[in-house]
Amino acid sequence: MKLFAPVAAATLLASSLFAQEFHAGAPVPDFTIQKLDGTPVQFSALKGNVTVVMFIAVQCPVSNSYNERMNALYQDYAPKGVKFVAINANRTEPASAVAEHAREHNFQFTVYKDPDNVVADRFGASVTPETYVIDSKGILRYHGSIDDSQNPSRVTTQRLRLALDAVLAGNTPPQTETKAFGCTIKKVQKTSASSNFDFGK
Amino acid sequence: MTRRQSLFGLAAGFALNGKIFAATGLMPLDEAGFRKMVSSHHGRLLLVDFWATWCAPCREEMPKLIALHSRYAKDLDLVTVSCDEPEAEAQAASFVASQGAPAPRYIRHAADDDQFINAIDPKWSGALPALFLFDRTGRQVKSFIGETDMAQLEATIKKLVTS
Repeated sequence: MKLFAPVAAATLLASSLFAQEFHAGAPVPDFTIQKLDGTPVQFSALKGNVTVVMFIAVQCPVSNSYNERMNALYQDYAPKGVKFVAINANRTEPASAVAEHAREHNFQFTVYKDPDNVVADRFGASVTPETYVIDSKGILRYHGSIDDSQNPSRVTTQRLRLALDAVLAGNTPPQTETKAFGCTIKKVQKTSASSNFDFGK
Repeated sequence: MTRRQSLFGLAAGFALNGKIFAATGLMPLDEAGFRKMVSSHHGRLLLVDFWATWCAPCREEMPKLIALHSRYAKDLDLVTVSCDEPEAEAQAASFVASQGAPAPRYIRHAADDDQFINAIDPKWSGALPALFLFDRTGRQVKSFIGETDMAQLEATIKKLVTS
């Protein structure tokens, strides 16, 4: 019992440290990410009236299939006061590779690093690309995919655009949570126990 | 041809929702088809591997999964489901064939990926690779999202085999 208590406490602490904190309909507290030169920056210094947070990757083919669409989103919505915060949380992709990738694809928005995927964990982000829309009051209004097809010619629902249009108009997005296939965010191991297990449903 | 293969067909073409799909060796799979497929494996353990040609960890894992399956083939079935876009179907079929993945092999063909992913497991984000392990009653007992710890997966299967 003497041994069990500290182990249980540590497990509980680990669970609370790595659990998703930000949920649709709830406020998103401030967090810290890094510029690609390693300088820390607070989200509060980057956010706008409406803010899009996008978890993206250098090597993920799905994320890369959205590079042009992300630039188009920026061009269409930045003039409306929407701020874009792109985050790379992959442990396998150093800041230098992220900077080169951003230059190569002429990203109009700034990409930041999330060392040890602390922010990705707080958002519950696990896939790239994965996006979040935060309104002027700091409330998370949308979480999910940019649209409904990796192939631009087959897109039928512009999920992120619909969410942005709704939030900019002060309305609730037609969908607040969506999913799509993508690459797993390559996270650092924080506990010895796998987070993938889920006995039963 | 086994009863299961016969059930889902391996013919020259397939029809789903009124559409005809080319016979690439991959069976189209939607949410209802997934539930039927899982039911057809009742009485045996089932490991479902959702993968894609664009997913490097998926391609790296597949030979390991096939080797694992061969070690437990007496009790375990392995089903592969490609999550590729339609234009990559031939490439996906060629890859699973080259790996010797057991037939029938599937490709997801859902009207809405969001609904498809939620139908498989509401806790799944859609990140690949993704493995879902079902017991002999068809109950999902574990999922492995992201790069899989093969030792952990095998230990879980071994435990289910002996239980």
